[in-house]
Amino acid sequence: MSELTDFAEAAVEAARAAGAESADAYCSASQETSVEVENSSINYCAVIRDQGLSVRAFHRGGMGFASVQKLDLEEARDCARRAVAMAKATHPDPDFVALPNPSEAEPVPDLFDDKLAGLEAGVAVEWCARGIEEARAVADDAVVQGGVSLSSGEYALASSTGILVSNRATSVSIGFFVIINREGEVGSYFEEDMARQLSDFEPEDIGDKAAREALRQLGARSVHTARMPIILAPLATMGFVGSIIGAADAESVQRNRSFLVGKEGERIASEVLTIREEPLWPAGLQSSPWDGEGVAKQPRALIENGVLTTYLHNSYTANKAGVSNTAHATRRGYSSSVGIGASNLRVQLGDKTEAELISEVDEGLYLSYAQLAPNSVTGEVSATVDFGFKIENGELTHPLSTTMIGSDAFELLGGIDAISSDYREEPGILLPSLRISSVQVASEE
Amino acid sequence: MREMIEEVLNAAVSRGASFADLRVGEGEATSVSVEDGRADKIASSKFSGAGLRVLVDGAWGFAPTNMVSKQELLRCLDDALGMARTAVGNVTDPGMVAEVEPVEASVEAKARIMPSEVPLEDRVQAIFEMERVARERDLDRIVNTTASYGDSLSKQIIANTFGTYIEQGGVRCAARVTATAQDGEVRQFATKSRARPCGYELMADLDPEGFAGVAADKALALLEAEPAPAGVFDVIIDPRVCGLLVHEAFGHNAEADAVWAGESILAGKEGQPVASELVSIADDPTREGLNGSFTYDHEGVPAVRHQIVKDGILLGYLHSLETAARMGAQPNGAARAMNHQYEPIVRMSNTFIEPGDATLEEMIEDTKHGLLLEGGYWGYVFTARGQFTCNIENAYAIENGKIGQHYRNASISGLTLETLSKVDAVGSDLSFDLGGMCGKGGQSMPVDAGGPHLRIREVVVGGHQHL
Repeated sequence: MSELTDFAEAAVEAARAAGAESADAYCSASQETSVEVENSSINYCAVIRDQGLSVRAFHRGGMGFASVQKLDLEEARDCARRAVAMAKATHPDPDFVALPNPSEAEPVPDLFDDKLAGLEAGVAVEWCARGIEEARAVADDAVVQGGVSLSSGEYALASSTGILVSNRATSVSIGFFVIINREGEVGSYFEEDMARQLSDFEPEDIGDKAAREALRQLGARSVHTARMPIILAPLATMGFVGSIIGAADAESVQRNRSFLVGKEGERIASEVLTIREEPLWPAGLQSSPWDGEGVAKQPRALIENGVLTTYLHNSYTANKAGVSNTAHATRRGYSSSVGIGASNLRVQLGDKTEAELISEVDEGLYLSYAQLAPNSVTGEVSATVDFGFKIENGELTHPLSTTMIGSDAFELLGGIDAISSDYREEPGILLPSLRISSVQVASEE
Repeated sequence: MREMIEEVLNAAVSRGASFADLRVGEGEATSVSVEDGRADKIASSKFSGAGLRVLVDGAWGFAPTNMVSKQELLRCLDDALGMARTAVGNVTDPGMVAEVEPVEASVEAKARIMPSEVPLEDRVQAIFEMERVARERDLDRIVNTTASYGDSLSKQIIANTFGTYIEQGGVRCAARVTATAQDGEVRQFATKSRARPCGYELMADLDPEGFAGVAADKALALLEAEPAPAGVFDVIIDPRVCGLLVHEAFGHNAEADAVWAGESILAGKEGQPVASELVSIADDPTREGLNGSFTYDHEGVPAVRHQIVKDGILLGYLHSLETAARMGAQPNGAARAMNHQYEPIVRMSNTFIEPGDATLEEMIEDTKHGLLLEGGYWGYVFTARGQFTCNIENAYAIENGKIGQHYRNASISGLTLETLSKVDAVGSDLSFDLGGMCGKGGQSMPVDAGGPHLRIREVVVGGHQHL
């Protein structure tokens, strides 16, 4: 751990020596064990070690960024000098004020699990073998793809304003996609689980669940073109609310390339919708004490009773707007620069079960999974129901084929008329089902 | 370097591997981002490393590293052999590779103007100029412009236990301009992009008016467009949509790893009709200067043109060494890896529908009630079901052979085989303008796609209004 902070500090020092007015450096080292299943057999086993460092250097507000896939003091200093050279070639940016100062962060428990970090690859192989068996027990003609990934890593971040933070985390995931092909009809579906702690991880029944759902997807048919209600199951909810929150990225808003321009403090959704962000959730999949610039994170409501409470800021956008930094800077690793995004999202539950929501629909669609993400600039939606069912007289009838949704973000958000009381939960993340009262459906009939 | 690589591969064989390959790569990339009149972000990244793959008793082990030294490569060998042996008891469908003649070759990076020879300030100024042209197209209604430029120079060594040893240089260049236009509550955007395995000539040859200006004009035009209709339409698609469709809907199904894994609707259909007899489909990495062009794939197999479909009949698939062995086919050089941290998997290169003999005018005149679909940015497919989705940039009504109302926000969806069977006219034109990145298995690879204008009967359009 101390070695990583040494690299980050050395890079910041070298950037300042080369003429950067401000700089920060991020480095990480990780190891992943990955087992892949193809055609119902273990196919690949890999151990992937990765490490690298990146530097952001600022000159008259313009940003130079450089990265290197090595952890070595000389390489770190060279990387810093390259970042400064890049910064000096930028145009001045008067909107850049300063990198953030150090802030006191609450620790997030249980992001690292010694038991998980110490697992042998053989355990991952056994989980895969069991997943295949489970799927084959449901349907002996099931074809299984997927796999297991175990990873552990650490990172450090240093800045010229005195930030010096480091942390480590583990994660484990399992997922299977099952295909059942019967006389030209194909049913397929996936199931997955992920966690940071072995005690939160439930690899059992993933193959079983995927295969059972794949069987239900046999016999897909189209529907008729009409307006009707839709119900988003938890996985469809995840993509939808994630993309709405993603469009609240303050940089996109300030640059006029988000459909949420001018919507801060405004009602953008039905009042039944409240979404909280819980970045400090113990063992949460997206939890971290700090954002990607080392600023302490805080839980907050992002949408409250339908009102967009805040844009997501990093230090640049907060300074530009003259508002508090909401600590939403993100880093996807050492090779990419700082972006903006939210962490663990929890959608407030309603008071009827999903089954009750379905039972109240005469004719509609149930979307098990669909990429219903509005375009982040226009807010428009034109999406296929990848996996779903027709609802008739309050019951799921047949699975769907070649069925599309045409809408826009505000119609979908404003049309949410009920949220389920039951839900899917991943560590830190809470996903109920959403019902939207009326949307345009296009299909072959 | 060669001595070290051969020593590691020999050690793999002597320690029980029936096959091993090693890819060693390094390179550097530069990118410039301009937004709203300022080049405010410039980046330089260096990448390096090696990926070692072994096949032991039918089990694959893989271990990459970012540090290239003999000690590190031997540690990777320990890791890869250990991983393969951990798996071997649970491998029910043993891995294998087709034996190929060893290749020794050296391929130089080809560029008329090496990007590294162009001063950084000149590269910044050139993309800044692109952004300026888009921004100044309409100072009131163009509310955001972003432009980006990128170049990279790389070297890769591909070696395996058949005795293949290839040194392959690569140079790539890309430019992209996005303009966002707004009028009241309506906000629309349009993008022009170009990416090629070439040098700075890509940028030098771009006409700012015809590139950035067109992006701005398209965004402005979309402000006047109506939301697209929902329902089933006869559609005429342009070469960009054709490229998206053939890549997403068909091409991913023709990748033999999907076929072998039971994930492709084309499994078992060799020699059978899979499209209208007007449709012939090829994937050609040897076609000069396109984004998916290359000389050797990442298993060291020479690139060749693949005729996948001829007159509607499926002729074959795209193969890696492994899928060729499993399916008794000849390896045809279609395995690529994003970088040393990933194993090579079957990928398309430049995929296209071959031209026919109709003209666009004839197709429009012959359509009573339909849509002309132009451009698109993304698409995806669930290969096992053969259900695709393609995003569409612009749609125009066709009524009684005449072009009418301009529409925005449409996607099309359908089942691949059913959709391709409904192609009833194929244009005589052919163009590639889709150079971009394709994602598969967590790996992003440069590809291109194209085709002629063509007409498809009865396609579902996911619009916002029911006319």
